[in-house]
Amino acid sequence: MRLNLVSAWRATLRGKVPLLPSHLIVAVPPTLYLLILFVIPLLFLLSVSFLRQEAGLIVNELTFENYRKLLTDRFYVRIIYRTLLMSLFVATAVTTLSYPVAYFLTRTRSRWKPLLLGLALAPELSGVVLRTYGWLVILEPDGLLNGLLMRTGFVKTPIRLVHNYVGVAIGLSHVLLTFGIFTVMASLQGVDPMLELAAQNLGANRWRTFMHVTLPLSLPGVVGSFFLTFAVAAGAYATPAILGGKTVEVLSTFIYSQLLYILNWPLASAASVILVLMVVGTLLLLNRLGGRRSFVL
Amino acid sequence: MRWKVIQRVWSVAVTVVILWSSYLATGAAPSRELVVNAYGGEYEAIIKSTIIEPFERKYGVRVIYDGTGSASADFARIRATRGDPGWDVVVMTAPESLLGCQLGLLERLGEDRVPNQRFIFHEARKAAGPCGAVQELQYMSLFYNTKRVVPPPTSWRVLWDPKYKGRVIVPDIGNILAVYLLFMAAYMNGGDQYNLDPGWAQIPSLRDNALAVIESSSDMVPYFEREQAWLLPYWDGRAHYYKNKGLPMDFLIPKEGSILLVNTLNVPIGAKSKDLAYEFVNFWLSREMQEKWALAYTVGTARVDLKLPDEHRRRHVTSLEQFKVLKFPDFLYIAQKRSEWAERWKRIMVR
Repeated sequence: MRLNLVSAWRATLRGKVPLLPSHLIVAVPPTLYLLILFVIPLLFLLSVSFLRQEAGLIVNELTFENYRKLLTDRFYVRIIYRTLLMSLFVATAVTTLSYPVAYFLTRTRSRWKPLLLGLALAPELSGVVLRTYGWLVILEPDGLLNGLLMRTGFVKTPIRLVHNYVGVAIGLSHVLLTFGIFTVMASLQGVDPMLELAAQNLGANRWRTFMHVTLPLSLPGVVGSFFLTFAVAAGAYATPAILGGKTVEVLSTFIYSQLLYILNWPLASAASVILVLMVVGTLLLLNRLGGRRSFVL
Repeated sequence: MRWKVIQRVWSVAVTVVILWSSYLATGAAPSRELVVNAYGGEYEAIIKSTIIEPFERKYGVRVIYDGTGSASADFARIRATRGDPGWDVVVMTAPESLLGCQLGLLERLGEDRVPNQRFIFHEARKAAGPCGAVQELQYMSLFYNTKRVVPPPTSWRVLWDPKYKGRVIVPDIGNILAVYLLFMAAYMNGGDQYNLDPGWAQIPSLRDNALAVIESSSDMVPYFEREQAWLLPYWDGRAHYYKNKGLPMDFLIPKEGSILLVNTLNVPIGAKSKDLAYEFVNFWLSREMQEKWALAYTVGTARVDLKLPDEHRRRHVTSLEQFKVLKFPDFLYIAQKRSEWAERWKRIMVR
């Protein structure tokens, strides 16, 4: 073994054999980029999460107190639980809503297809904050939706749709819908329409064709859309902050307040680590449930 | 051979000169630019026309203005960067000024560096600490809609009045207004700033009466502009600004009194243009600029020798006597206890 390595090294120096295979050489710059700008800061975050804060100052003493607090104190467990629940809800809503739109956009042969694609992409032209404030105007007690419901007699008093999790879920679902649509579309475009035609020729009606041919083949896109929207929803800050106000607390808003005005950086770091683990854990679970199929991201 | 040696020496010399020039250009040499972090939103135009542009003209320098971040967010950045946030001067409040000084993140602003400090009354200077220069004074006023709240309120208890349920804005704990409101709730119920339990007992019912709980003072503006909110605690300076804009709002100090806010100018230890920063602070504290600033931003001042209209003096803190009438918080105590209070506040506010 040692002789082989020495011979290989000598051959490399003489330029006869590349130091690394070419596919690995190409991977070096992004790997370094991720290492320096992601892995190392994450490790720093992890190290700070084991310190403690006292009277506004960080004390360099190792402790598990932050994790113990976050995972056993009912108040913090509720924040983690609600973040998870809200993200799962938004991911399910986005995936469910985006599938029919993606299917239509993939299969349509209308000459308006480019325009329709543009309309699907149009929300991304304005920023998240702008769109979220738009939802605030629509959903607030004196807003458009409540005004319409009250004028038509559906309700007598305004329904509370902002400064709660309902408003946050509505806002996030809209903000992430475009991601869902295009992720599912990428998968649907790989489903050969001839297969659907073949199923129908063999006697399957449209519903059976969809359930037994189209949906299974597009499942990687569905799972990819679910995971992508889950990950983004779990870490979203602007929409929960604006539509939820300060009576709604998810992990991102909790981390923000701990970092920027409570100045409890160790606790914020521990919460950040838990958020990362939540997203990675979901990815691994989806991967396991999906078997050997890779999913589209 | 000799020619090759000359060529090599010449290449090395040119390389050294280029590298040294780059080093000088990046920051070792003094700059004629000043980076200032202060008020954003609508207030940015006021500070630029009143303070920034006259300073640029007088000193022939360029000021790069950054209007982002609250005082606590700015302080978090100063801490994160160990005193080198990229600004030369930053506007904060007394708690951040005191804690920042204690942590060694801010430069001292004595009379040797800022001569106009000698005109700031001693109690205000003490509140800001050795690293702060007090450019304005404000207090927490009760800001109310004059059409909807009739007659005008006389007590802070109006914020808890069920008659105004869903019409009250409550500041979040990230805004020092929330801390002051907690203090007032304690004072009204037999406590004080060191015994806040009577105040804490009032916070759940305040939350139930609230239209919204909002952190940033500027985020509260759309609510009272659209007359969704009729009552809120608000800084007298900004309250007066919106009153002057023609909104049907007014501000007052209820019978239980109010609490002072000391705003400060600070210079982080990592500031690149320190001499210019001290000049800027000194300029802002000059008599002419203090008079202009007080009237333009409708705030009080801690400078003793100003000529201001009587009406302005009546509504804002411009004298030591007025300073002493208001409740004076222990700013360092606030800075130290804030994270503990924030956690308790969150446990009540979060549904």
